[in-house]
Formats: sequence, C-alpha cells, structure tokens
Amino acid sequence: MRLLRQIRLLLVAELRQEIRSFEVVLTSAFFSLVMLALFALSLGAIPASAQVAAAPGALWLSVAFVGGLTLTRVFDRERESDTLRALLVAPVDRLAIYFAKAAIALLVLLIATAVLVPGLVVVFPAAAPMAERPLFTAALVVLGCVGYVAVGTLFAAGLATGSGKNVLLSLILHPLTTPVLMFNLVATRALLEAHPGADAYLGRMAAVDVILVGLGAWLFEPVLVGGGGSQRRAAARPGRGA
Amino acid sequence: MEALSAEPAAAAQAPDNTPDEYAPVAGRSLAEVEQVRQLESIAAQKAARDYQHIIWAYGILWALFAAYGIFLWRRSARLRADMSDLRRELGGREGR
Amino acid sequence: MRRFLPDVMLLAAAAIFPYSVARIFLDTPIERTMGTAFKIFFFHVPMGWLCMLMALVCGIAAGIELRRRSTTASAVALAAAEIGFVCGLGVLLTGPIWGNATWGKPWTGDARQMSTALLWLILAAYLLIRHYGPENSRRLAAALAIFGAVDVPIIYYAVKLWKTTHPTTEVVGSLPPALWASLWPGLGALVLCTLGLMGIRIRQLLIAEELDDAWVRLADRRG
Repeated sequence: MRLLRQIRLLLVAELRQEIRSFEVVLTSAFFSLVMLALFALSLGAIPASAQVAAAPGALWLSVAFVGGLTLTRVFDRERESDTLRALLVAPVDRLAIYFAKAAIALLVLLIATAVLVPGLVVVFPAAAPMAERPLFTAALVVLGCVGYVAVGTLFAAGLATGSGKNVLLSLILHPLTTPVLMFNLVATRALLEAHPGADAYLGRMAAVDVILVGLGAWLFEPVLVGGGGSQRRAAARPGRGA
Repeated sequence: MEALSAEPAAAAQAPDNTPDEYAPVAGRSLAEVEQVRQLESIAAQKAARDYQHIIWAYGILWALFAAYGIFLWRRSARLRADMSDLRRELGGREGR
Repeated sequence: MRRFLPDVMLLAAAAIFPYSVARIFLDTPIERTMGTAFKIFFFHVPMGWLCMLMALVCGIAAGIELRRRSTTASAVALAAAEIGFVCGLGVLLTGPIWGNATWGKPWTGDARQMSTALLWLILAAYLLIRHYGPENSRRLAAALAIFGAVDVPIIYYAVKLWKTTHPTTEVVGSLPPALWASLWPGLGALVLCTLGLMGIRIRQLLIAEELDDAWVRLADRRG
C-alpha cells in the first residue's frame, strides 16, 4: 500500500514536470513520425503479401528506437541535475522509483504508438486488421511496450547514475529486448494474418512481461545502489592499465 | 542411383534365358561407363569441397582459440610489467 | 594443487584432442546425407553447448557478484563471458561453413542459428560494457548478464515461435549412436580446454584486482 502511494506521488511529480514542457512526449511523437516517414519511403511500395511481414517489423523497430530515445530523455533530465542520486538517498522505496520511472516511460511510449499504429495502417494497407480490432491491438501494444520498458528502465537508470556514456544504452537495450520484440512481432503478424491462435500469443507476451518486470524490479536496487571505487583506482596508478 | 543399378542387372539376366547359345560378354556400354565416370567426378568434387569446408571450419576454430591464448599471454605480460613497476616503486621508497 | 589445475586441464585436453580427431576422421562412418562435411558437427555442436553453458555461468556468477560484492564472482563472470564469446564466434563461423557445404546456403535463419546469434550479441554487449562502461558499470554489466542468462530459454522459444511463420525442414534429425559416441571425446577436450583457459583468465583478473588495490594503498600511504 505504501509502495503504491509512493509510486503515485512520484508519478504525479513526473507528470507535472512533463506537462510543464511536454518535452519528452513531443520529441518521441515527432521521432515516431520520422520513423514512419522512413518506413513509408523504404518499404511503402512493396506488394501486399510482403506487407504482412513488413508492417509488424516496422512497428516494433520503431518502438525499439523511439523507446531508446524516450528512456534516454527521461533519465537525461535526472542526470543533468543529478536528482536520481538524490532520489535514491531519499526515504523512498527503490521499487517505487523503478515503477514510477517505468510507468512514465511506458506512458510516453504508448503515446508514440498512438501515432505509429494509425500511421502504419495508412502506409501499409495490409495492416488494416490493426484498425479493425482496436482492442486486440491496444492489448498487443501495451503488453509489448511493458516488456520493453521493464528492461529499458533498469539499464537507463543504471547508466544515468554514471558519468556520460549513455550511448551504451542502445548497446545493452537492443540485444536484450530482441526476444520480447520477437514475441511481439509474431503476435502482430498473427493479427494481420487473422491467425486463429492470435490470442494465445498475447498470453505468451504477458508471461514474458511478468518475467521481465519481476527481474527488473529485483535487480533495480542492487544495480543502482553501491559505491563506485574504480574511479579512484584509475587515478591511483601511473600510465599502464591492467 | 536406382536407374543405374537396374540396367546392368537386366543385361545380366538376358543370357540366362538361352544358356546353350553363344552369348556376348555383358559388360557396361560406353554410355554407362561415361555415366559412372560422371557420377564419380561429381562425388570427387563434392568430397574435395567438403574437405575444403572442413579445413576452413577447423582452421577457424583453432585460430580462435589461438587468438584467445595470445590475448591471455599479452594480458599476463602486461600484469607482469605492472607488478615490476609496483615493485620498483616500493623498492625506491624503501631505499630513500 | 589448485594452482596447477588449469594447466593440468589444458594438458589433458591436449592429450584427448588427437584421440578425438583420429576417432572423428578415421573411425566414424561418413554420414549418408551430408557427407564428409558432417565432420564439422563434432566440434560445432559442443561449442554451441559451451557457449550457452558459459552464458548461464556468467549470469549466475553475476548474480552472486551483485548479492555479495565478490571480486571472485566478478572475475568468473568476465572470464565465462569471454570464453562464451569465443565459443559463440566459433559456432557462428563454422555454422555457415557447414550450412554452405550441406544445403548450399550459409545462413538459413534456422531457430538455432538465430538464437545463438542473439545470445552472442548479449555476450558481446556484456564485454563491451565491462571494458568501456562508466564507473558503476560493473553492476550494470552484472544485471545485463543475469538478463542474458534468463533470456537464453526465452530467446530459444521466441525464435522457434518466430520460425513457425516460416516453416523450413529440420536440419539435424536423429543421429545414429555411433556418431554420438564420437562426439564425447571432442566435447571432453573442448570442455577441458575452455575450463583451463577460464581458470587462467580468472587468476589473471584476480591478480589484476590485487595489483589495483596495491596501487591504491600505495597512493594512500603517500597522500
């Protein structure tokens, strides 16, 4: 209960900050448009039979890239003023920080997909089933983004407490989230092909999400809390490194 | 393969029906020999290509392990140098 | 005894290795459909297994590293990741060679190929973070390794699921027992070799750590 209240408090603070400038939401939505334009240019002319395979790929690749950008921006704000460290010493449950950050990233990502999905339906005529079954599509997008954000928040937060180098985020994020994206890809394709087992794919996605959220929540504290001694080490030795 | 083995069998059975008469030696015709040669050369090519593939595969495997070995060796050389640096540093201090 | 264990393992591997190669090339019948190129199998498959095993070892060691802040566990995780990386590279390079020899195409997007490639990418990311990450990157890398280890079955399942939309023929069906019997010596040699190398690497990492500490203490005493 306390955890829920703390999550709500942190989330409200995040939202208030976001509403002041709409920075993250606008950049992510704009980047989604850019991705859409790129996919329309590169794959817009392919035949309908190939679109069934191309549209899910376009959707989840865009989510992957937009997600990377969103997570970077969400934590950049913290890093610029080193507020994440302050938040970590504050009497707040670390799990609350994880879930609040994941929730805000998820929200932004979902807004971005609200741009992406209708755009893809326009670009690829074969993606029409996404518009015909809006509830299924919504469930699909939410489940897919949850898994992505669960992994992404952990690593983006870990990199945000470090110095610089958040280029590394895409290096970690994309290999690790590929399995999630593959589940999403299969489910989306099942939807587009009107596969009878499409609902079962949603169940599998939910199972993967549970594993990833659990793992992310479990690892958040040990990854973020702890003193760094290696900086001193690097300074102490002359010239040669080990 | 099936067709190839069936034909000589049929040729061999033909003389059995007329045992008393003179029968020419039933060998392979020139066309059959050609065919066999062709198949043999295909098999030889395949074997040669396979060997090439094996050599590449095994070569790459051992090259990788060798590369890792060299990497380990260089690391340990660097550690040794670091150790002697430290020793010199400590020795210099005690000498002073 | 413990000090020489890696060397003993490497020597044992060196002794088993000629036997295994002789057995593979001289005593094992040539596989019917794939011909001589099938001999690649005897080192290719064990290396694939080792790659997965090392990813698991790396994940478990990283978990211990996070819980206990153990430098030994950290060294084990890094060494396992390096060996897994090397084995994975071996699998990924020999796989296409074998594929090219038997079914004329180096990369078929088979479930096993794809999942090994993804696992290898995670190991590569782990090594990059360990070598180039910022100062708190050890814990981050450990989390990456844990996720990687948990991902192993998920990846395999995901790729299989993904393949169901593009059916292809099975690559390796059931094998006759004679072929499996020739696999074990090769596997033994490879396991001993990798464990020996891993032992040496772990010792190196621990020594490097102690040297670092010594430099820090030296600087402390002076400053």
